[in-house]
Amino acid sequence: MKIDELRPWLTVSASLYTLIVIFATPVYSQTPFYQGKTITIIHGRAPGGSGDLRVRAVIPFLQKYIPGNPSFVHEYMDGGGGRKAANFVFSQARADGLNVGNVGGGVVANAILGEQGVQYDLDKMPFIGSPYSATHYMFVTRRDVGLRNLEKLRGYSGLRIGAQSVGHTNYTLGRIFAAVLGLKDTKYVTGYSIPERDVALMRGEIDAITNSDDFYARNPEWVQKELVDFHIVMEIPKGEKHPLFSKLPEVDTFAKNERTRKLLSMFRLFRLSGSPFILPPATPKDRAEIIKEGLRKAFKDPDFVKEYKKVVGEDPTPLLPDENERAIRDLPRDPETVELFKKFAGAGPLPTL
Amino acid sequence: MEISLFSAAAQGFLNLLEFQILLAMLLGVSIGTFTAVAPQGLGMPLVYAIALPIVIKWKPITGIALLIGASSVSAICAAYLPILFGIPGGSGSQATVLDGYPMGKKGEGRRALGASFMAGGMGCLIGTFTLAAAIPAARPLIYLMGSPELFVVMLWGLSMVAVLAGRRPVKGLIAAAFGLLLATVGQQAQSGVMRFVFDIPYLLDGISISIIALAMFGIPSALDLALTKLGVEQQPVPLKGSLFDGAKDALREWWLVVRCSFVGVWVGIVPGLGSQVVDWLAYGHAAQTCKGGRQTFGQGDVRGVIAPESANDAKDGGDLVTTLLLGFPQGVVTALFIVALLAWGYLPGPEMVKKNPEIIYSIVWLQGISGIIGTLIGFGLAAQLAKLAEVRYSFMVPIMFIFILMGAFSVNRDPADLIVVVAFGLLGYFMRRYGYPRPAMILGLVLGDLMEKYLYRSVASYGFTWLSRPAVIGLLIISTASFLLTLRGRMKANARAKAEAAPASFTGAMARSEDES
Repeated sequence: MKIDELRPWLTVSASLYTLIVIFATPVYSQTPFYQGKTITIIHGRAPGGSGDLRVRAVIPFLQKYIPGNPSFVHEYMDGGGGRKAANFVFSQARADGLNVGNVGGGVVANAILGEQGVQYDLDKMPFIGSPYSATHYMFVTRRDVGLRNLEKLRGYSGLRIGAQSVGHTNYTLGRIFAAVLGLKDTKYVTGYSIPERDVALMRGEIDAITNSDDFYARNPEWVQKELVDFHIVMEIPKGEKHPLFSKLPEVDTFAKNERTRKLLSMFRLFRLSGSPFILPPATPKDRAEIIKEGLRKAFKDPDFVKEYKKVVGEDPTPLLPDENERAIRDLPRDPETVELFKKFAGAGPLPTL
Repeated sequence: MEISLFSAAAQGFLNLLEFQILLAMLLGVSIGTFTAVAPQGLGMPLVYAIALPIVIKWKPITGIALLIGASSVSAICAAYLPILFGIPGGSGSQATVLDGYPMGKKGEGRRALGASFMAGGMGCLIGTFTLAAAIPAARPLIYLMGSPELFVVMLWGLSMVAVLAGRRPVKGLIAAAFGLLLATVGQQAQSGVMRFVFDIPYLLDGISISIIALAMFGIPSALDLALTKLGVEQQPVPLKGSLFDGAKDALREWWLVVRCSFVGVWVGIVPGLGSQVVDWLAYGHAAQTCKGGRQTFGQGDVRGVIAPESANDAKDGGDLVTTLLLGFPQGVVTALFIVALLAWGYLPGPEMVKKNPEIIYSIVWLQGISGIIGTLIGFGLAAQLAKLAEVRYSFMVPIMFIFILMGAFSVNRDPADLIVVVAFGLLGYFMRRYGYPRPAMILGLVLGDLMEKYLYRSVASYGFTWLSRPAVIGLLIISTASFLLTLRGRMKANARAKAEAAPASFTGAMARSEDES
């Protein structure tokens, strides 16, 4: 056989080989990056707690929706109300898409308020969603104190309000409630864990607390036996009514000026972040997008809602990646509101509004 | 329809008579045993956190069997490290090291382990019986103890420095003051002020007590072994006697077991005390009240093992009293247990007592049965594990360091903890060498934070009228009497020592322990 006779076959073979090479490459490149990989979740908390359970409820669904179904391991970096973990994710964790942080919402507030120990930049850190965000806070007094309505509450002097610590969400909001309602000569007693504080309220060591709606699962008899009086509510996000407390006045209705409204808005946006997932800032965009998409799909999965309720004991109120980014972007940062908020979060005298 | 408590107790037991449930309990017991013997740090909170998402998908009683099996046995088997290695076990077994380790060195390791298992098992049963008895009437007790009363209790605890300091009161006070000072590191909850933080995120929450305790007791033992070649390599534990000698000791000292078990139950019930103080309170009580205790505690007195171990194991029963009957947790483990109960549709607290008493009694039975199994496992495995004490020092020292460093790292997975454990380890070594009692420092560290919190809350809530509360007055009288009796005993012992022209025989537990090196 002459070479000329082979030429058509050689041409066809070469063409086929070229086609194989051309089309084979995309086939290999479509192998998901996360296949066979392990993602480390860096928790800004100790193991256990509700924050841990919230994350653990999400992980099986995140694994399901990230192409390649990576494995997950959990690392706990407790300290500074999440600051330690946020600092680590921001500046030390490898930005390869295999390190994801999850921290409490205090990480956002600490950065805006310029608290000690913050070494991360809120605007450079990607916030990519949270399994919960909505909640309601109430101002509650013990029935024995005899403050059945707002009029009596406002007329009472020396109310002892209990909280976890200076700067804690419940402490700060308790002071905001007191200032907005114009309560007289309030005293703040701190240093309680939540169960200790609940017992202290019933024991008469303190008269009032500010609490989110999860108290109802903890102390249903407070409502059933009418052991406490509810006075005022803060809805987060604004406009979401809790069926049990829909008759309570919303705190915004007592705001007399723009300054107060900005303060309340700042509190809401701090709290709205829930327990956000965060990424190291230099994480490649395509990998960050894969994780965000995984979270979007996980949060929308009906089975996630069931599983979350089973594991955590409450309904999820997810904040999607884009909403989380927007919430961070929209945070009021004007120095006047920040200064005012810091006064409410601090131990000094109660500012007037 | 509500059922009687007797029927509920019977039904609670019948609930357990399924192969699957017994298997889950045994699995839990195995996990708990491993966790207790493994290096410090792989604690129950992590085990619960990992197990929870799995077990809540099981039938409730099966899941409860695994969780209770694991937690109840982990305290019973926590004495291996203190007795065999001189390293504090998990929180709640730290005081065991003071007499357990000297016993090991004297060739009484098996006896110490036997006493520990028997006292632990008895403590566990006393805690369980208390839980069962408390089901109808626990609530009022908890509401009687407010911040003022708790402050006085802490003050009482701090007076134990007088005992722990032994014949070196000044050094004891310095050590305790250093502990109190260390307790101030981090953000103060009452004012929000950062103290001694220097803008270092690691210090925001203070330094972990478990890391400090691990360092202060673990590193000096390992260093002593490496530098002096004394200890297990030069003086192999002869393993004289038997485990049953220790068991007999615990039975002979049954009244001490009962007293210390109730200390444990009480610590478990009262909110805010926690496992970090239970062993120290029981040890201090035993050192103050046992005949000749002031002379022998710290030198390898078996009562110094019996007291903390019985209290530590009984505490779990007390923890469950508040967890199940009031519905609030006493720590991470019971918090997670509540989460599991909620997932199964039970609401811990008065509602559960009313609606699901049979489940509460199932928990009571599981707690008791797991305690017995844990004791038997302790006796069964002790002989094997006690052989670890015969291993050469050249093999032991690296293993001890690995255990210590792994334990330190596993608490928070923070490399900075390794630096802290080495720094405090060296400090502990020099404190031991120069006779500064380390337990006095730990006591100051543990109680400092609590005392500050309770005092602040008392003054903030009541002004200075808290001092006139009847329970406060009662507790102040008891604690002052206890302190004065301790001082009197000490003065008498000093006088006797002078009269006999012998070396001072009265020393506290820690002074003995310090001297042993």
